[in-house]
Amino acid sequence: MKRLWGPASLLAILLVVALMGSLALGEVRLAPSEVLSVLMGRGSDLARTVVLDFRLPRALVGIAVGASLAASGVLMQSFFRNPLASPGLLGVSTGGALGAVAALALGWTANSIFALPLASISGAFLATFAVMALAKREASAEHLLLAGVALNALFGAATSFLLNLTAGRFEVSGQIIFWMLGGLENRTWSHVWMALPGTVLGCMMLLPLGRSMNLLSLGEQGAQSLGVNVRRLQWEIIILSTVLTALATAVGGVIGFVGLVVPHILRLAIGPDHRRLLPLSMIGGAAFVLVCDLITRFLPGELRLGVVTALIGGPFFLWMLRRPS
Amino acid sequence: MIRTERINLGTRLRDVSLHLLKGSLTAVVGPNGAGKSTLLQVLAGLLKAEGAIAWMGDDLNSISFPERGRRLAWVGQDLHADFAFSVRDVVAQGRHAFGDDDEFIDSAMKALDIENLADRSVTRLSGGERRRVFLARALATNAPIHLWDEPTANLDVRHGLDVLQLATKLRNEGRAVLISLHDLRAALCFDQVLVLDRGHLAAAGNPDDVLTPELIHRVFGVKARMGQEMILELP
Repeated sequence: MKRLWGPASLLAILLVVALMGSLALGEVRLAPSEVLSVLMGRGSDLARTVVLDFRLPRALVGIAVGASLAASGVLMQSFFRNPLASPGLLGVSTGGALGAVAALALGWTANSIFALPLASISGAFLATFAVMALAKREASAEHLLLAGVALNALFGAATSFLLNLTAGRFEVSGQIIFWMLGGLENRTWSHVWMALPGTVLGCMMLLPLGRSMNLLSLGEQGAQSLGVNVRRLQWEIIILSTVLTALATAVGGVIGFVGLVVPHILRLAIGPDHRRLLPLSMIGGAAFVLVCDLITRFLPGELRLGVVTALIGGPFFLWMLRRPS
Repeated sequence: MIRTERINLGTRLRDVSLHLLKGSLTAVVGPNGAGKSTLLQVLAGLLKAEGAIAWMGDDLNSISFPERGRRLAWVGQDLHADFAFSVRDVVAQGRHAFGDDDEFIDSAMKALDIENLADRSVTRLSGGERRRVFLARALATNAPIHLWDEPTANLDVRHGLDVLQLATKLRNEGRAVLISLHDLRAALCFDQVLVLDRGHLAAAGNPDDVLTPELIHRVFGVKARMGQEMILELP
């Protein structure tokens, strides 16, 4: 396919460089040769501990989060026929946030390290099912969108309420705020196993949808008249984007704008064809999150990942709004 | 090619039965809100309604989605495009149900006079140009049945006449073509006219028999008078 392999190799190189940076840079600075020798099974004990126990799981979680959120963004933009749509739209991200905050506020996290991610995944699915119940089966995209707006407000309010409940318990409320801002600190291999297989599977499942999504993004009825089973395609899109957003929110907290910025820049570079846009967004999203995570390590005051993506994504979003179409 | 028995859809369509023959050119006329677009969507299988619809002798519900895409081409009034696909990419979507082969794409673009726009983004076209792109996408399907919803709206005189001539050509090739329009004078040149009024079929048949001053007055509330007028036709 024309214009796939060139940009794909460029992004792959960017991803590899970002990955090397993630493994080498931080409080303990390692040379690339040291990182490579650790990856080949050699290296000093210190380097092995730093790379294998801390930085590699953190980077792998970052890759899963970035690929999931960017792919989710592409799915929603095609579904709503709007380049401004993003994973947070249906209330899935805030649903996930509410689940995680509930787990923290109610103390479930003391029992198992899986409690927080599981609560987050439950919250995200609760949000999706709520949107579907509100919007019924034959709902239009506008109807779904408004249901998402209402749920976002509701979940946001519930999250703030839970935060108020923990007032005075600074350790818990600090943890909640820390998590709500999103980040990749202290990610372990259990987080990798929680997010990565599902992300890979989800991404594999959505790649074949690109051809039909091209038609859907120019109109539901037109797509159906040309032979697309639109209803089924829409369900596939909704379920895959929910699962991917839920997995990302479960292990990384709320990280905004990845699903908006990455697909949009790629569309400007390679055009809107989803057969190219989907795989390239996954690679690009992964690289974007790794780079933003690297930035958090060097800015003063340990800025959180969600803050960095918002600092880049917020102005970008406003620029998109101002731009004549 | 298409046969329906008593289609009903709330108050939007009431007891509409019709029959489109192979090699026929049919016009649907009616006031705003009479149900023209709804009828076309129901016939194309895009809106569910009560009653039976058959395409080429097969019940619509028994036809798979890709096969629907091969048998019938529908062009709606929605010209909204937010994603910057090139004109050629959009026309090529007409081959979706055929595994994206390259047939009929160039001839479709030529027929709609959009070859010079091939590499332009559909987001950067005028309404009329975009309509011709969507018509070309439908034409590229090479389907035996064509349903076009007001295809001449926002086209200039020349391209409007081109579209009607194209419909005639498709009819002559043995296809069934159904077009909704507001221009009653253009409808006089069709093989058959269906007049919709508040969801029901007020009249159907040969245009000279159907489009009488009495019917036009009853359905549209205007006086029709034959007289001298400027005639526009292709050179």
